[in-house]
Amino acid sequence: MCNDHDLPVAVSPQASKRLQAEIAHIIDIYRVLYPARNLSFVISEGDNPTRGEPSIHEGQPIFRPSDLGAGYLGRVECPGPDRNAPVVTIRVSIPREPSPDEVRHQDPDWRPVRPLGALYAAAPILYEDIRYRAEMRRKRLAGKRHQCISLPFSRGSTLLPAAVEPDSGKAPAILIGMHWLEVGGAEKLGLDSIHWALEAGLRVFVVAGVPSLQRLASKLPDRPDVTFIRLDRYLPDDQWPRYVENLIRAENIRVVHNHHCRQLYDALPQIRVKTPWVKTIDSTHVVEYADGGFPRISGVWSNYIDIHHVISRQLADYYRDRFQILHNVVLGRMLDPRGDQKALRPISMQTAQKSLHITFIGRMYYQKRPIVLVEILRSLAGWAKKADIDLRATIVGEGPYLGPLTQLLRRFGLLDRVALEAADCNVPALLDRSDILLLPSNNEGLALVCYEAVEHGCIPISTDVGAQNEIIPEDLLLPLSPRETVSACAGIVERLWRDKDFLDRQKAALRAAWTRLSADPTAKEVLMPHYRDAAGTVGKG
Amino acid sequence: MALLNKIAAVIVTFNRSAKLMKVLDALQRQTLAPEIILVVDNASTDDTTELVEARAKEMPSIRYLRLPKNVGGAGGFHEGIKAAYEQGANYFWISDDDAYPEPDAIRKLLEALHEFEGSYQWRPSFACSRVEWIDGSLCEMNTPRAVWDWARFLRPEKPWALVDSCSFVSVLIPRWAVQEHGLPIADYFIWFDDAEYTRRLSKSYPGIFCPESRVIHDTPDNRGVNFGLVDEKSLWKFKYGARNETSFRRREQGLPGVLAYAYGVHRQMKRGDVSWKLRGQIFRAILRGMAFRPRIALVK
Repeated sequence: MCNDHDLPVAVSPQASKRLQAEIAHIIDIYRVLYPARNLSFVISEGDNPTRGEPSIHEGQPIFRPSDLGAGYLGRVECPGPDRNAPVVTIRVSIPREPSPDEVRHQDPDWRPVRPLGALYAAAPILYEDIRYRAEMRRKRLAGKRHQCISLPFSRGSTLLPAAVEPDSGKAPAILIGMHWLEVGGAEKLGLDSIHWALEAGLRVFVVAGVPSLQRLASKLPDRPDVTFIRLDRYLPDDQWPRYVENLIRAENIRVVHNHHCRQLYDALPQIRVKTPWVKTIDSTHVVEYADGGFPRISGVWSNYIDIHHVISRQLADYYRDRFQILHNVVLGRMLDPRGDQKALRPISMQTAQKSLHITFIGRMYYQKRPIVLVEILRSLAGWAKKADIDLRATIVGEGPYLGPLTQLLRRFGLLDRVALEAADCNVPALLDRSDILLLPSNNEGLALVCYEAVEHGCIPISTDVGAQNEIIPEDLLLPLSPRETVSACAGIVERLWRDKDFLDRQKAALRAAWTRLSADPTAKEVLMPHYRDAAGTVGKG
Repeated sequence: MALLNKIAAVIVTFNRSAKLMKVLDALQRQTLAPEIILVVDNASTDDTTELVEARAKEMPSIRYLRLPKNVGGAGGFHEGIKAAYEQGANYFWISDDDAYPEPDAIRKLLEALHEFEGSYQWRPSFACSRVEWIDGSLCEMNTPRAVWDWARFLRPEKPWALVDSCSFVSVLIPRWAVQEHGLPIADYFIWFDDAEYTRRLSKSYPGIFCPESRVIHDTPDNRGVNFGLVDEKSLWKFKYGARNETSFRRREQGLPGVLAYAYGVHRQMKRGDVSWKLRGQIFRAILRGMAFRPRIALVK
């Protein structure tokens, strides 16, 4: 058992309880990492709500003044099974409680970069244009800066002994790695896969790579067979491979499923060499312009991964064209299983209708280009006024661009016709009463909201990015350059309102695309067999 | 002695999907299956992509490298060996999209390399198969070139002749040879890329011809490379061949080598009664070859 030394008197029962819980969590992590060692923790209070800033050194702690600053909390000694075993010292800080403001806002309000502040104030769309050009330049250079070559993986010689699978005596488990537990498409799939794994009968261990408040942790199933391990806070990156190996051995983990967790990719060589019986799966969503993002990382690690799960055909083509991979790329759409397939509502928009309801649903981040959205609404408002149409819009979403977006709406006199809704509003009901969904994004995988829009009789119009052309007909796709996005969008909306043939063609094309997508396997359908297979596996003796 | 045997098959293809599928069938039947089968597609316009994609579902070893444009066989093998090298292959089995290896062809090549090294301590820089035409006769265009002491290690039970050149039809190349000598010259585009490359490799030590490893080359006819056979239809290929070999001769043998080569070409064309118009074009290709100095790319 661990002995406490020099722990300060608790200032409040809640603080004391939190401290004890965090220390217990830290000890659990390091006991997995060093099962046979004597552990010596030097603990301090962090001035940061997310990071534990852990560091490790071999041997007894050697105290320095920097250890004993204002945040010093004390030491915890944790003997191992053998008192003569070497000591390892872990320095770690307990993150402070986040303030309510920090809990509410993941990121501070966006501001234009200082040198271009005046330009933004004068003409926001020009500011967007410069940013777009900078991003396209990064995209052009990406091929030179970032290689698309899968790392070699040799299995070694059969003349040398292979790793032996231990008998943990525990029920099969899965390790699910997330980028973080914050709102996002990859995170939604990550959470879904946790539920599917439980449904398959696996115990679930969850880790996240990026330190954050992990706001979605509260959405994790509250069950004893789901464990969220705070490696993001308490384990140095370079120790992840050994930790993952030890966890796999200790907990009979049969599958490692990676949803954009960088450290888990880095752990793959360790998994392949030390625990080769484990199946490795990853899921990817969006190719980033600057460096390819996680699909590129995944392709680089491809020889170490058993299954690449992708959510669009565009991504499957990406793996084929950049990494020569065909055999283990599986398409599984982020859609409800066909058993829950709903009947399509007829698309409500008609030509020459007297009112038009336009909706935007998305996080208020640059990726969704809220400024371009405002410029589109501004352009449409001008057209609607001339055509005597009652134009209304609803914008759903939260994030650092919400403030600047509201300011722009006010500045352009649009606030009286634009309603701002929180992210937890009733999206299906909103789509039911909307004519058009706008998505002028800078980049997307395949935006699920477009698929939902068609289900609810709403016409999605989107920039031609990522795999959006798999759900949006060609005539409803917008060019990416901001000014062209605005003018093309206004043109399309005007034509939908005016040209009945065009409108009917788009309605038919949207239904056809929706049907096509619905015929593809869902993520659950392609992942569940692997989960079930793992759940039926018993560790070898 | 080599302990690691990760083999990558590199097949370059262009608009021959049906034959390519037969090659994949033959690879699927191998008693020693390559760990990676890299299909290098020279921007085919037929159904190659779809067929390879479908086949990859049942053959997980398939990798598909589609090049943005047709860079010829030379460019395809250059890219393919480079990609396979980056994948950590220990051996590269190089072949065409119309050559079907017998089920034990690759195993025999690897065993020959291992056994030769074990018995004689020399490391052959490659091992090549006996390439037969569809009627079982020797495929003329794929005849390896023997070195002067070709019979040094030839035994009745192990008839391995030393050769310094062979075609890219069922040749197994060890990783060390690629590491030491680099990649085939992509700029050759077509013809003589295989001869140049294997002659470059054999500077370390000659390769071995392994007649017990057999492969069927499904070409329309069984003709060798002879400038007496130049006609309007085949002229473009012969021009590449003349330019490329001239360039090689100049690099390796200097002007005397080029002159000897030009004289040999002239004699072949004279014997074949090739028209003066075509002869002129071949000689112009030889002249171009004098100034053609493509770079040899090394692997990282």
